[in-house]
Amino acid sequence: MPKKLITTGALALLLILARPPAGNAQEPPPPATDTTATAATTTTAATTTDATPPAAEPAAATAACSDCHDQAKQFVTNPHARGAVTKGEVSNDACTACHGDGTEHIANGGDKTKINVPRGRAGADDTCMLCHDTATDRISRRGGMHANSAAVNCLSCHKIHTNNAKLVAKPQLTLCGTCHTQSAEMRNKPYAHRLDRGGMACSSCHEPHGRQRKSERSLALTGHLRAATSGEAPCVSCHAEKRGPFVFPHGANEVADCTTCHAPHGSVNPMQLRRANVYQVCIECHSPTSATLGSQPPSFHNLSSPRYRNCTTCHTAVHGSNRDPQLFK
Amino acid sequence: MARTKTLLLALLAIALVASAHAQTYIPQVEIGYRWLDLNGNSDVYRSQINERSGLLLRSLTLNTTELPFGDHFRLDASDLGAGPAGALRLEAGRSGAYRFNLRYRHADAFSSIPSFALGQHSFDRRRNAFDADLELLRFGKFTPFIGYSENRYDGPGTTTYHVGQDEFLLQQSLHDRDREIRVGTGFELGPVQGQLLQGWRRFRGSETLTLASGAGAGNNIPPVLGRPIELGTFAGDERTNVKTPFTNFYITGMAGTRVRLIGNYVRAAADSNGTGSEDARGSLASFALSRFFSGQTETSTSRANNTTWRGGARAEVDLYKGIDMLVSWQRESRELTGTALVNTLFLQSITFGGADPRDVEAILNSSNSLDRKEDAGSIAFSARSLGPFSLRAGFSTSNSDVTVTPDLAEIVITGGQGGTFSRRVNTFDVDGGWAKAGFTAGAAWKRSNADDPILRTDFLHRDRIRIRAGWQAPKWIRAGITADETRQDNDHPEINYDAKLREYTGEIEVTPLELISIRASASRFRSDSSIFYRRPENFTIDTSINVERGSSLQGGFSLMLPKFTIDADASRFTNRGTLPFRINRMSGRATFPLFAKFGIAGEWSRDTYHDTTFTTENYEANRYGLFLRFTP
Repeated sequence: MPKKLITTGALALLLILARPPAGNAQEPPPPATDTTATAATTTTAATTTDATPPAAEPAAATAACSDCHDQAKQFVTNPHARGAVTKGEVSNDACTACHGDGTEHIANGGDKTKINVPRGRAGADDTCMLCHDTATDRISRRGGMHANSAAVNCLSCHKIHTNNAKLVAKPQLTLCGTCHTQSAEMRNKPYAHRLDRGGMACSSCHEPHGRQRKSERSLALTGHLRAATSGEAPCVSCHAEKRGPFVFPHGANEVADCTTCHAPHGSVNPMQLRRANVYQVCIECHSPTSATLGSQPPSFHNLSSPRYRNCTTCHTAVHGSNRDPQLFK
Repeated sequence: MARTKTLLLALLAIALVASAHAQTYIPQVEIGYRWLDLNGNSDVYRSQINERSGLLLRSLTLNTTELPFGDHFRLDASDLGAGPAGALRLEAGRSGAYRFNLRYRHADAFSSIPSFALGQHSFDRRRNAFDADLELLRFGKFTPFIGYSENRYDGPGTTTYHVGQDEFLLQQSLHDRDREIRVGTGFELGPVQGQLLQGWRRFRGSETLTLASGAGAGNNIPPVLGRPIELGTFAGDERTNVKTPFTNFYITGMAGTRVRLIGNYVRAAADSNGTGSEDARGSLASFALSRFFSGQTETSTSRANNTTWRGGARAEVDLYKGIDMLVSWQRESRELTGTALVNTLFLQSITFGGADPRDVEAILNSSNSLDRKEDAGSIAFSARSLGPFSLRAGFSTSNSDVTVTPDLAEIVITGGQGGTFSRRVNTFDVDGGWAKAGFTAGAAWKRSNADDPILRTDFLHRDRIRIRAGWQAPKWIRAGITADETRQDNDHPEINYDAKLREYTGEIEVTPLELISIRASASRFRSDSSIFYRRPENFTIDTSINVERGSSLQGGFSLMLPKFTIDADASRFTNRGTLPFRINRMSGRATFPLFAKFGIAGEWSRDTYHDTTFTTENYEANRYGLFLRFTP
């Protein structure tokens, strides 16, 4: 397809998308009793700060949450406020969606017992899950690694009023490392994926809402890992050149997966191998045993010689080859 | 590279225009320069850390609403510039109309370790990856979407080539490009939701090889049967083209009020075509031919197919409030076939006795296949809300069947390279948690038993125990301890595999005032692995032992005053094992206001690496950064 046609089509699509849908808040508001009036009231009320709303007044009709709560003002760019912002003011609807109707709360001078504050498992179940009760082939709220419990629930990791990406409470490495200390510790080894830099984080590979399922052979079947769109393990989403298929594949990868040889959380080996020395990784499988897969190296492979202790010096195409059965090239 | 820069500049321009028209925007920008002061082995430093001197966009956040083209627009960027990895993410959309996500990531991949693979394998490459996804939200029950991804991996490297009974260092240039287009729709039809995705991926890879300067003598100086082995010239070229259409589908729905059913299916059919050629000239030998030869030319064509599908179903049954039964079954199937035709012409060959001069042509016409199936089923009961307690217990079983049919040409020594293999693993696991008044405690135990190994490092028995306890008092203290142990073994007399991993961690964070935070942690880990192996040179049984004895101490503090912040950390990681080393890390960051909304941020970080075995790999790296900040 000609590039110009694609470009024209893309621009046309953008123009169509840019058009506000009917009834959208971007349209000029009606002149009376609209959100603009509310916003004006808000500004006035905010300048008088902390003033208790007159008890006799039906407060919810005119007062905005941001009159008292600075959080509501910062909420303007929060994903939960999308579609509920007009001229820089957050509609009360964005707050009441989770906190419930605030009429009584306002009428009682901000009585904290008169407003819903989601906390813990019950808060997550009764509030977050009203919209986010997603169940896909990988995600589960009930059988997940982080299934909503008193110890681990939505609000353990997410801080709803922040503007952090994905509303996570802390940078991922710190957040996940709080419980997953072993994985965090492995990252201290000299060769590890560069997490928290360049957009790579724990969730680049792991599905934090994934379900508890661990296959013994297939990373793609493992519930708490993300899968590529075509179903493979997350490794090949970046390392695409290792995906193959190859005429002469390395059996370890085809029969099992990348972690047969590699330690993705960190290693003392420059190629993040599971063993310090290359030959150890190879020879532990490539020794003759009845009924296991792994060929026997010919006898000239003298492991006493440095030449044969770096197997990949000759077997360079260790992930698979289209030209050489011995993976030389 | 030029395209990448153009795209980034265009995005920044759009962002600025967007913010100019926006009703609300909150930009946060930090840009500056980083200096590197390095003493010691720069190759090892670059292989491990690779932060270099140069301009750096440390962070940028632009978060706007009420735009002409949507009601939200968010741009986040970090560490773009002087490497080694940077990212940009854009989210834009209009509620009820569309949602657009774009992600860009680059990562420099550098490796050059003197002690690894005789120091001959190295690369200095860059990976650039884009993803763009557009969802249309105007169509009621259906949410159509379209997406595009591109992943490029380019750059030079060095590799080795085994020919004529020697290994030679080659210069390598790699250009890989992986592109993917996907379309589909999400749907929500009453109680049934799901998504159907159809994608097409194309990978193109090319590799060119030339003999490295001065590498003609090869790895091994001694002559072979009295004749010096040398390579005069070498040129190689290999190209790969892989097309992969794929389908990904899932559906979920409620059966009554208590049972949720989820079904999924994904299938990918990769078709790879490859061509290769090489031309080597010199003085070479082949034990396979029992001849010396003066060069070789080779051409190859290849084709490989991999059809993989996975399908399954699961049910989540709400037995009682907060108590669920979870049942699932999945099957994964992979069928891989490959054929190659490799034509090698050995030029001017003579026998080791110097007789019978002739060109010898060797043709390899190879085909092989692999068939793998895995079934995984599980059942679990989960009670998430027994007051402060939660409990889960489950049983899962997985069965793998693998048939490997290698071409005879692949087999050097018979055995272990083909056949039919089967392995079943049964796993029982239970975990529980408790949380009350800021205290949490949890324990998990998992036991797996297998009938047979497929690879020698497969376990027959595995136990994992994990215990964690924590205490968090609102706003001033958080403390936790974790203990983790995994043991696995295979007591087959020819294998005798035994592995243990133990890790203990304690951590505490104290916030005596809202502005001050002090943190410290200590951990130890011990990893022991041993397995029999047969030495190829004399067929004796030996034991491969890998040991790690790690200990880590870490501490830091943060001071967050309204106009001044400081954050500092220090850590020491020591590993006394098969490859002993010590890493010390220190870092500090401070921010000061300058005027109006501008300020500066200063950073310092220091890493020292001390390798006990290969002391030439040691380094000390200091990085200093000075950044101009803009915050509203």
